[in-house]
Amino acid sequence: MDRIKRVAVISNLADRLRKEGSWCGETHVQKAGYFLQALLDVPLGFDFVMYKHGPFSFDLRDELTSLRADGLLELQARTPYGPSYVTTELGKEIQGMFPRTLAEYENKLEFVADRLGRLTVLELEKLATALFVTLDRERHDGTEEGRAGELHRLKKHISELGALEAVRRLDRMVEELPA
Amino acid sequence: MTKSIHEIRDPIHVFIRLNSQERRVVNSRPFQRLRHIHQLALTYLVYPSATHRRFEHSLGVMELAGRVFDVITSQHNVSNDIRSLIEPIQGELPYWRTVLRMAALCHDLGHLPFSHAAEKELLREGWNHERITRSIIESDEMAAIWSQMIPPLATTHIVKLALGKKEAKDLEFSNWEAILSEIITGDAFGVDRIDYLLRDSHHAGVSYGKFDHYRLIDTLRILPSSRPSDETGSSEPALGVQEGGLHSAEAMLLARYFMFSQVYFHRVRRIYDIHLKDFLKERLDGGSFSTQIEDHLRLTDNEVTAALLEAARRADEPGHLHADRIVNRRHFRLLYERNPDDVKKNPNAGKSVFDALCANFGEEHFRHDRFSQTGGAPDFPVELRNGEIVSSFVKSETLNRIPVVSIDNLFAERSIYEEAQRWFEDNRNDIVRPPEKEN
Repeated sequence: MDRIKRVAVISNLADRLRKEGSWCGETHVQKAGYFLQALLDVPLGFDFVMYKHGPFSFDLRDELTSLRADGLLELQARTPYGPSYVTTELGKEIQGMFPRTLAEYENKLEFVADRLGRLTVLELEKLATALFVTLDRERHDGTEEGRAGELHRLKKHISELGALEAVRRLDRMVEELPA
Repeated sequence: MTKSIHEIRDPIHVFIRLNSQERRVVNSRPFQRLRHIHQLALTYLVYPSATHRRFEHSLGVMELAGRVFDVITSQHNVSNDIRSLIEPIQGELPYWRTVLRMAALCHDLGHLPFSHAAEKELLREGWNHERITRSIIESDEMAAIWSQMIPPLATTHIVKLALGKKEAKDLEFSNWEAILSEIITGDAFGVDRIDYLLRDSHHAGVSYGKFDHYRLIDTLRILPSSRPSDETGSSEPALGVQEGGLHSAEAMLLARYFMFSQVYFHRVRRIYDIHLKDFLKERLDGGSFSTQIEDHLRLTDNEVTAALLEAARRADEPGHLHADRIVNRRHFRLLYERNPDDVKKNPNAGKSVFDALCANFGEEHFRHDRFSQTGGAPDFPVELRNGEIVSSFVKSETLNRIPVVSIDNLFAERSIYEEAQRWFEDNRNDIVRPPEKEN
């Protein structure tokens, strides 16, 4: 996907997350972008590694900064959790230039926004890390307990019980994936 | 009696102290090479006194890394929320302090001649200066130093802390290692950044980069991103600041903004970087630098400068044209720079202008320079006086308003400059227009 189409997809994702009630800070965009790419195969082309609050892409972080520089997204300060990403008028115009691309991914964007939009940072961290662990089959034996154990090992501040709940929640989400 | 602590005079930190083990690293070939790598590439052609080198910067980063480590691990500064992070490694703190200072010393070993100048285009796919840095830290020459230290240092630990997760994606970082790497490479408070802002502004002779780094460092803390009692936020630990240090943090981030706008992205400095890249592409075997350590260690700014001067004198030398532009100050001139009106029409306005001019006059007459500041928004935890932890954006109006620095410049050769400028102005509305709608 070339950059300008990707811009349309990312800003559209931010819009949908906000519509679902998301705070839409960087963590929300990062984790939603991860689900879109890793679980729903939208070819955003970002490289995700285990880092801040779970899977994190330095490329996506730089892209968000670049979108602010180009006036396509802006950060709005909000209490109590910090800044939210908001699409500018120009960003909306860019989305309007790519109706076919957005239509192609509409179901996937909607699914991610619907399932993640109302989650807190902590819930996103658990769920996205559960997906990261699940997709890396060398990390676990495939069981719920094996994946939860690995999640807890990676993110010590998440309890074993919290990790197990996250793995189960992820599995339910995977069963409902759009075609 | 043999001295065990050595002092080095420094214009920024007054004295930099190092022990005999650290001096072995300073005396190594890879580190001594940094005496011959300009910190700011050809910036001295614009700011004449900006001739400082990576050598003293790396010493400064080591000094600051040690100071930050001492502050954040001091018993008085460790809150109950993060005690579980520190307690298991309490006995290993001296080891980690040494690793951190070594990583700080070594973090720039892989820099090419003239530092950052266009390394993406001058290295083979998949390589950057951080990867060369890693190869050097892992080399037999350096591994011998790490293994002879008391206690011996694990090479992997030095790599992780020197490069950070972004450049060492294949390595797994514990929370503790992530915090320590943030001390060096962090977006908000990395000591690499603290030192280069202070040092570059000092040598360039500008005041923009100065801020109260003493206060900032004294108020740094390891903080949970939010209190564990807050059931919505993550309690993952991060490097943050006490409320009393927030103004110093703001001053640093403003300093960064001004240094980027006034020094690092200065248009003449940027076009010299581009001419240097063009020159090197013609001079180097296959158009790129070797990534072999021995080749890397042999090549410094001195060799490149000698080649530049020679090529500028002799028309039959490869790269003559580009060398002449640098040495005799016949650099391309700025013809177009991004402006808010054009960006509103097309975020890729500079590229459209470049393509149109190249199509009309020929590609060899123009250079396009587009670059945006990297890194994220300065969102870090702040510990308020009442013990609450909030995002820096909640507490600071200033941080919300610092713009992202970005350039989208187009340069033209002097011989064609005026004609190209007239043509562009006559055709501006046809060139800078919104991207075409997808069918």
